[in-house]
Amino acid sequence: MECVVQGIIETQHVEALEILLQGLCGVHKQSLRIHELCLKSVPNLGLVASEIRLLCDLEQPEPAWTVRHVGGPMRGAGAEQISVLVRPMQESKISKNALRLFYSLGYKLDHEQLRVGFAFHFQRGAQITVTVSSINKMLKPHAIDDAVPVTPGIQLVEVTAPASSENYNEVVASVSSFCEYLAPLLHLSKPGVSTGVVPTAAAAAASLMSDGGGTK
Amino acid sequence: MGTLSAINIMPIKWILHWRPIVGTTVNTQILTEVSQCVESINGVKDGTWKNTLRFYKPILKEQTNALEFSQNYLGISLQEQPNKYYMTIRGQQLIVEAESSMQKIMETLQSYKLRVALNFEGFQYRLGDFRLRVEKVVPVNSENLRGIIMEMEYLPISLWETSHQIMGEFFDIWKEALGKRSLPGHFVHMEPNFAEYGLSDQYTSQHTVVQYDSIITQMVATAISSQRVRD
Repeated sequence: MECVVQGIIETQHVEALEILLQGLCGVHKQSLRIHELCLKSVPNLGLVASEIRLLCDLEQPEPAWTVRHVGGPMRGAGAEQISVLVRPMQESKISKNALRLFYSLGYKLDHEQLRVGFAFHFQRGAQITVTVSSINKMLKPHAIDDAVPVTPGIQLVEVTAPASSENYNEVVASVSSFCEYLAPLLHLSKPGVSTGVVPTAAAAAASLMSDGGGTK
Repeated sequence: MGTLSAINIMPIKWILHWRPIVGTTVNTQILTEVSQCVESINGVKDGTWKNTLRFYKPILKEQTNALEFSQNYLGISLQEQPNKYYMTIRGQQLIVEAESSMQKIMETLQSYKLRVALNFEGFQYRLGDFRLRVEKVVPVNSENLRGIIMEMEYLPISLWETSHQIMGEFFDIWKEALGKRSLPGHFVHMEPNFAEYGLSDQYTSQHTVVQYDSIITQMVATAISSQRVRD
């Protein structure tokens, strides 16, 4: 399973967020360029409709493919009270003919997108990953070179951490407390519960740029 | 085709399967004799071996318009690659390499169901630069013998074409040794067209999977048709 929260930030404040993350994490950012294909089962296939994601990491010397399955969010009173979404997640690296496999098995391309940005991976109570990326859509199938932003001027921030049924409470706590550090720049919440940009972002960004920018 | 990361070059391997004389079936006596024969040519037992093959078929809400895809696939776990999982679709000459978590992902999707699961298990022998394995094919959770397989590895070479002569010569020696026992059948070597699967001449575990796929497809077809006869 994984714990996840999302938020959005205006592109003009991304540089400030990067400085803040760099300071908090103490690691260097990694470039992110991922072609993501969402496939759905054809109507006649399976006990239930199913969905699978193929991620192609274009930052690697050879494009590296991963198949990812994300389940429905954890429910119940306990899940309602926490500010982080906990859901089953399984991943496997897979050879580059994965798309052909799923087409053959009865899955069809539902949509695809290109995520471009950066990520920080670090240990802070849990193995946390923060990605900041713009989501781009393809005007023609698989035409990643001609992708255009879905929401120009806005980037998606996602904080995720792997968890298990034994330790998710601790992971949720670690993710929540980390998110508080980012609060002046953006608000993070469960996916699907968008809270928009925060009013303090501009001031916080200006402050970060003057303090942390050093030479700026 | 395509590997996950670093190419896992493996020693060349021929996988042989036992073809009984028409009218006879495999039995454990043949398995015992084959093992004894390996020991008689100075094969030294040095371990056990187990690979698992699982056949899956689609779960369809309606049988009518099944032709849209209707692919069966084979999922294979190899002892030589404990962290990996292979999937093949024979009709499409497709082989996919993934991590072992892939098996769980496919089960979670609930779009395919397990039809048959077979273990290929037995002993491994060392004979100079060769490694031989004698394996029985049994359904998981059963001792009902379905077939006999041999793996014949030549450790110094990993190029398919280069190995042909020495593998062929060794196979002849083996057939001659086994021939003295007058068993009701013989071992057969089928050579799949690896290029059709996008595989190169450099031997990898994916080549092993393709060989297993060729053999098992025949074996399961036979099992299913004989079951239909009984039903």
